[in-house]
Amino acid sequence: MPHIAPALSSWPGRRIALASALVCALAFVSAAQQPQPADLVIKNATVMTASHGTVANGAVWVHAGKIAGVGAEVSAPPSATVIDATGLWLTPGIIDPHSHSALDGDVNEATSPVTPAMHMIDAFDNRDKALYQALAGGVTTELLLHGSANMIGGQAVVIKNKFGLGRDEMLFPDAPGSIKFASGENPKRVYGSRDQLPSTRMGNFAVMRQAFEDAKPYMAEWDAYNAKVAKGDKTATAPKKDLKLEALADVLRGKLYVQIHCYRADEFLTEEAIAHEYGYTIRAFHHALEMYKVVDKVVPDETAIATFTDWWGFKDEARDAIPWNAVMCMRRGMRVALKSDSNDHIRRLNQEAGKMIHYGGATEDEAIRMVTLNPAWIIGVDDRTGSIDVGKDADLVLWNRDPLSTYARAQKVWIDGDLFFDASLPGFGTPHFSGAMHDAGGFGGEDEEDGQ
Amino acid sequence: MKLASLLSGVIAIHAIALAAQPQSAPPQMLAITGGKLLTVSHGTIENGVLVIANGKIAAVGEAGKVDIPAGAQVVDARGLTVYPGLIDPETNFGLTEIEADQASNDLAEPSDEIMPHMHVYDAFHAETELIPVARLNGITNAVVAPASEDSIAGQDIFIQLFGADRDQMILGRDVALAMNFGADQRRRGGRGGHAEYPSTRMGLVTQLRQTFLDVQDYEAKRDAALKKDEKPKDEKAKDDKPKEEKPFKRDLKLEALVPYLKGERPVVIGVYEAHDIETIMALADEFHLKVILNHVTHSQDILDKVAAWKVPVIVGSIYDFPLANERYDAVFSLPAELARRGVEIAISSADAGGPVSSHSSRNLPYAAGFAVAYGLPYDEALKAVTLNVAEMFGFGDKLGSLDVGKTANIVLANGDPLDVRTDVKQVYIQGVAVPMVSRQTKLRDEYSK
Repeated sequence: MPHIAPALSSWPGRRIALASALVCALAFVSAAQQPQPADLVIKNATVMTASHGTVANGAVWVHAGKIAGVGAEVSAPPSATVIDATGLWLTPGIIDPHSHSALDGDVNEATSPVTPAMHMIDAFDNRDKALYQALAGGVTTELLLHGSANMIGGQAVVIKNKFGLGRDEMLFPDAPGSIKFASGENPKRVYGSRDQLPSTRMGNFAVMRQAFEDAKPYMAEWDAYNAKVAKGDKTATAPKKDLKLEALADVLRGKLYVQIHCYRADEFLTEEAIAHEYGYTIRAFHHALEMYKVVDKVVPDETAIATFTDWWGFKDEARDAIPWNAVMCMRRGMRVALKSDSNDHIRRLNQEAGKMIHYGGATEDEAIRMVTLNPAWIIGVDDRTGSIDVGKDADLVLWNRDPLSTYARAQKVWIDGDLFFDASLPGFGTPHFSGAMHDAGGFGGEDEEDGQ
Repeated sequence: MKLASLLSGVIAIHAIALAAQPQSAPPQMLAITGGKLLTVSHGTIENGVLVIANGKIAAVGEAGKVDIPAGAQVVDARGLTVYPGLIDPETNFGLTEIEADQASNDLAEPSDEIMPHMHVYDAFHAETELIPVARLNGITNAVVAPASEDSIAGQDIFIQLFGADRDQMILGRDVALAMNFGADQRRRGGRGGHAEYPSTRMGLVTQLRQTFLDVQDYEAKRDAALKKDEKPKDEKAKDDKPKEEKPFKRDLKLEALVPYLKGERPVVIGVYEAHDIETIMALADEFHLKVILNHVTHSQDILDKVAAWKVPVIVGSIYDFPLANERYDAVFSLPAELARRGVEIAISSADAGGPVSSHSSRNLPYAAGFAVAYGLPYDEALKAVTLNVAEMFGFGDKLGSLDVGKTANIVLANGDPLDVRTDVKQVYIQGVAVPMVSRQTKLRDEYSK
């Protein structure tokens, strides 16, 4: 039996009895009296770097929250805390580029098909149990996206899964902004069912184009004003700020990464054509289940995909989903990430990566990259996390078995060098959390975003 | 030239027809040699031989100890793992095609809570695209149940995932009754305080109890009426007053429940919370139902009690979410905790959050493997998706292990069947090498050109 069993059976009762007494004490102890050691070495692990292959019997040195060394040997100071990881695997933290966790059901502002001024951070519930469960599955970074009810949804929030810290401490510092677009069945169903525009794919794209047309004169007004100010014109009056148009202008200015919910082959091509027409680029298509049909046409635009491994058939536009999609697209030169879009699958994205060995024969390196470095690129934080390289954030997961197998369990999860999950601890296994979790209901998946 | 190509065309078509009709055209003898046999019933044979004749397993054992019959087609399985086809204990195969497309769904009849006369075999769409997709990952048999909306949803079928038509694929009709109970159970009154009965769990249980009593009453009246009909004519003539007797009218709804109240067939009860499990088990005990428990997701506090009931349990979904105050692995470890207490378990492919997703049935082996990650012994996990399922639904003598006399539903894979990385190379159902194609492989191949 796993060693957690006794803790499991005694936990609820113990929690009720002691929780209130412990909360303050534990918080005090972990925050004040046990600062993370400045130097940590994890040695004798199978280190899957995601960027430069696997180091058997490798070591990783963490200094002040960053990776300071990786290889067969590292030159850490003798004062470093050493973890002997013989028989264990070390990977970068798992990164989910498509999550709706911790939004307490506020996934869609489905009152208009164009809502670019919505910010997901305003709904972020940092105590949602889904975050904890994902953390226990090795997830260290998530892109929390608006849903797909709207053609142009809201602006995403990027979090580091530092479960137990405050809301603001969980935000990924200086992460680029992303905005969620959608297409296909969901917008047309949500608004069509109310006899509103859009109720067809024609309507979908018409709404989108008009939104950018609306933004153009607004942008021109501001450009003119800014030009005057730059010239030193003190009589210039600032145009009125409009949050919606401002956000759309930011898309046209290339200030936001565009993340598009899109399933069908024809719609990838339409989306790219509209992006060319209005002069922005698409960072990633999400879901992208039919990308294998038109991948050669999309590769030149350098748009990535964040796709399911093997979900299919839940709606018409998912009918042609095949589990070989990811590897087929990767082989044709596309950057491919796997994502959860689900509070369930987010807990085992490492297994989803393992399936890529089965479905298409990905190498281990390619497979692990699909849940680490490639999703980091989609979010725009691949220079900071997503691989085990010197200088990057020490976001690391220690596994008891090969993480690409069915059998792996995360043993320890570090974020910025700080331990946020340790399966050997009693209770939740969370050094920074000992309070009450929120059961936000959340998002079960299936992409049934009806906006109700 | 023309004649030759025409002839070869005929032969090719004939071969396809043969492949699609396993029962009408039993294949030749096959000997699968050199593979690692996971027998499920009697351990692992590292270098084994498995002989198939007339669609059944004719011999199984170590290389050198099993005679390979003359004329048998030899399949070289060196480097491969050979194991019995997996059996999914809860699916909606043939009852849905595209979940969001209502026209393709025949999942549940929501007009009443008590619908035992709904027979899955009346809706089972044998030609569904879902079956070949699951089959390619080594799923060869399944229970098909209605969706879990009703207190009594209908009666299940047991299928094999290959055959010319539904008659070949349905191995058992009405093999079990699908029951459900819990907070989220559909009730026509909505939840609490509405105008229609039932609207609470009190109502749901009372409705079930009254139904079972009605069945017992019905059965007595029916038997009495049948007995009267059986009386010899002269005896009837002796009756003093020749009265105009109404012929007995059968009530299909009540009649459907008779075998279950006699304990002749299992009742699969889907229930999640500990207190709901205790409530519904008290009712089942009152009427001596032969119970298979399903889900039991939040039964951690009453595991010893569940074990004491000595009923089999289907764990589905192992991916269901723990409660907010529970550790992350509270549900992941459920199969291990049940098995440790001697409970016979099966594992289903259901996704988290309730409804069965038969589109994910191909992930059945990974659910079993995940249970291993959280403490279930490997052999128990393999049993939970093979022999245990067969036994629960009355097919233990025919399926679920590599034993002589059993149906030759065999899978050849390039590794551990429960590992996500493993690729299934060939599936045999009733000894026939099933074409390893689905709509999905066709799309893959079309766009790989």
